[in-house]
Amino acid sequence: MTQPPRCLSLDQWDRRYAELCAAGMREPSYGGCLRRHVEDGDDRLLHLKMDDSPAALRLWNFLLSEEDRLREAQASGKRLVGAMKDLGTVPVMVYALDNLIAFYPDGAWWLPCIMEHGDGLLRIADSLGVDDSFCPVRAMLGAFENEAHFPIPELLVSSVGATCDDFSAIAQRLEAMGHPIFWWEIPHRRPPEPDEPSVLLPGMFRAAQSQVAFVQSELERVRRRLEEYAGKSLSDDDLSAGIHRANLVRRKLATLREIVFKAARAPLPSLEMLVAEMLAIHFCSDQYECLVVLDELIAEAGRRAVDDVGVTDEEAVRVFWVNPVADLRVMNLLEDAGGRICGTEYLFSHALDLLPQHVPPMEALARAALADPMVGSARDRAARVCRDMRAFGAEALVVSRIPGASHCAMEGPLIRDVVRRELGVPVLEIEVPTLIDTMTPTLQTRLEALVETVKRGRV
Amino acid sequence: MNDVAYLSPFVPPEWIAAHGLRPRWLRLSRAEQATDAGAHRGVCPCAGALMERVHRAGDLAGVVLTTVCDQMRYAAAWLDAQSGPPVFLLNVPSTWESPETARLYADELRRLGRFLVKLGGHAPTEKEVVATLRRYDQARAALRAECLSVSARDYALVLDRLAGHAPSPPAPLPKGEGRNAIPLALLGGPLLEEDFELLDMVVEAGGRIVLDASQGGERTLPAVFDEMRVSSDPVGELTRAYFGTIPDVFRRPNTGLYDWLGRRLRATGVRGILFWRHVFCDLWHAELPRIREATGLPVLDLDTTEGDAGSTPRMFSRVESFLEMLRESAIP
Repeated sequence: MTQPPRCLSLDQWDRRYAELCAAGMREPSYGGCLRRHVEDGDDRLLHLKMDDSPAALRLWNFLLSEEDRLREAQASGKRLVGAMKDLGTVPVMVYALDNLIAFYPDGAWWLPCIMEHGDGLLRIADSLGVDDSFCPVRAMLGAFENEAHFPIPELLVSSVGATCDDFSAIAQRLEAMGHPIFWWEIPHRRPPEPDEPSVLLPGMFRAAQSQVAFVQSELERVRRRLEEYAGKSLSDDDLSAGIHRANLVRRKLATLREIVFKAARAPLPSLEMLVAEMLAIHFCSDQYECLVVLDELIAEAGRRAVDDVGVTDEEAVRVFWVNPVADLRVMNLLEDAGGRICGTEYLFSHALDLLPQHVPPMEALARAALADPMVGSARDRAARVCRDMRAFGAEALVVSRIPGASHCAMEGPLIRDVVRRELGVPVLEIEVPTLIDTMTPTLQTRLEALVETVKRGRV
Repeated sequence: MNDVAYLSPFVPPEWIAAHGLRPRWLRLSRAEQATDAGAHRGVCPCAGALMERVHRAGDLAGVVLTTVCDQMRYAAAWLDAQSGPPVFLLNVPSTWESPETARLYADELRRLGRFLVKLGGHAPTEKEVVATLRRYDQARAALRAECLSVSARDYALVLDRLAGHAPSPPAPLPKGEGRNAIPLALLGGPLLEEDFELLDMVVEAGGRIVLDASQGGERTLPAVFDEMRVSSDPVGELTRAYFGTIPDVFRRPNTGLYDWLGRRLRATGVRGILFWRHVFCDLWHAELPRIREATGLPVLDLDTTEGDAGSTPRMFSRVESFLEMLRESAIP
């Protein structure tokens, strides 16, 4: 029988780590006690509760050691590509070349949270004229400016077009600061006209064939640029192999989500699931290790599900969550309020969907890029949310606004209206700042109210 | 009812007119306070006012919006769910370095044409298209010749007329502000109806706008048509004149905006820039430091919100102080 899992504070994790080591736990090269990350400035760990499994330990260490991994890769002669905005497509192309590594500098948006503003990145962004009316992705400017986080990639590749204005504006500012960007166009995904040839995309969206062809031509430009940068060709065979490897990760994530979101008790906490899902977009800079990390999580979640133990009880309200949170602690808060995550749309569902393998690889990538829920209408996105809510049996929806993000101003009401009409479930819209500390009571109360509303409805 | 409203300079009004419908440039008003989705924090005043105006419009056959900013994309989605006039969202690529993007824009114009036919327009003959394009081009040419001799307000109003149906060359207008006034550029997003007071305010404070680079001003006029290409490939020529030449902040990279601005600032002898941005318009907001760096000119950042009409004392005193500073800096 598996011991009932617990979520531990960092102090508790210190003791847990000692116990695991004493019991002979074997760790990868990036392993170690979580406390060391606080010593490196990741102060938010002091205020998070984390799953007590070795699998979760490995996940956190994998995530928090990424900057070291990028520097090591660079030192070993690999070249870095900063993929920006598309969340999941360009890295598949990059990892098809064995001498390149891709990561998302946009990921810096979590640094002010993880480091509890000790990084000073938002202050730097302020000084560059990009203030808090922009979304926290502005932290990326600070990271490029002070060079104290990720190594600066020599090639930046950004999608633009049907993207949020914040990002487009911040990326343009970055380019003006002396970091040239290779831009590629992702058009707004429109409904096909009657009689217009169309294709079904991952995620069940439909797009005009002409739009797929256009995106494919844009990705061909990206391919040529990557070939120049890598100094070698990127053949269709390479790309097909890259798609196959990306799909291995996506399949494992699908398995993990299936186990966790459908179990009677949540076998893994929402926080770790958020981190695990993020691995899909660029594999945390190591595609092979990413698979191992996911395997361990699947094994742990599977064991717990079979033993009917979890980090929540059976009564926990099944919540579908839209948009990633700027402060990871909100994920703990949901469980404290009596909820659990059963389905997500963290802006990158298209990175979780399997890449088509029955069409030529460039077309597959174009289809995947166009399946980005953010490049289509908010009503399309709402329809996808409804489908996934049904599939995972979600009882409520939380739309989490990202402060300053231009898309958040209007999408919440649009999604809310569709979900209420289609599913008749309660919807809560909240805004999550980079650090929620001063707002914790308010957020907690609102989440508790949502949970109570659902529970009353069950009776 | 055959008016088709639009408010992006990337929508060619002559294309709407050629299909037998009346293009109508939407000059929005702050009085149209947004309700429902548009009332949310973070919605720019233009998108909010647009949603309110179109939602309640009973006199429009359709509306054409563009993808040049994501607030407009979301506004289109919201309007699409209402019972108002049909909305067409024209895909205007942000990038321009690949010829494929121009082809996409041209395809979008053709798709717009099919939408216009569905609204009650007709598929124009080639002759009709060519004649309409020429008519608009001639009207714009006459206006370009006038622009330095009329007041900024009058110029903006004539531009509004040009963006509508059956434009004609502007009638002679009163001469502009005093030649001793300080020459300024107005750069940024669209002016709402009430914002025209800003233009009067500048005159009153001793300034003169010699370069209207706001959305809807001189900056967003399409290029002069090439006579040969109008006849041989009208859609291609529309694409070149609009998509290929209008410098805008959303383009990636947006170097075209800076190239154009540099040329026009030198040509007009501008001494200061009024930077006009609506709150929550990230695209313009993020450019402010770069505008300062690139032009080397004093820049007054005028951030406006809904209900914040141009005539407010706060804005007037800021404009006045700015001009005072420019005047003083001119004294040796």
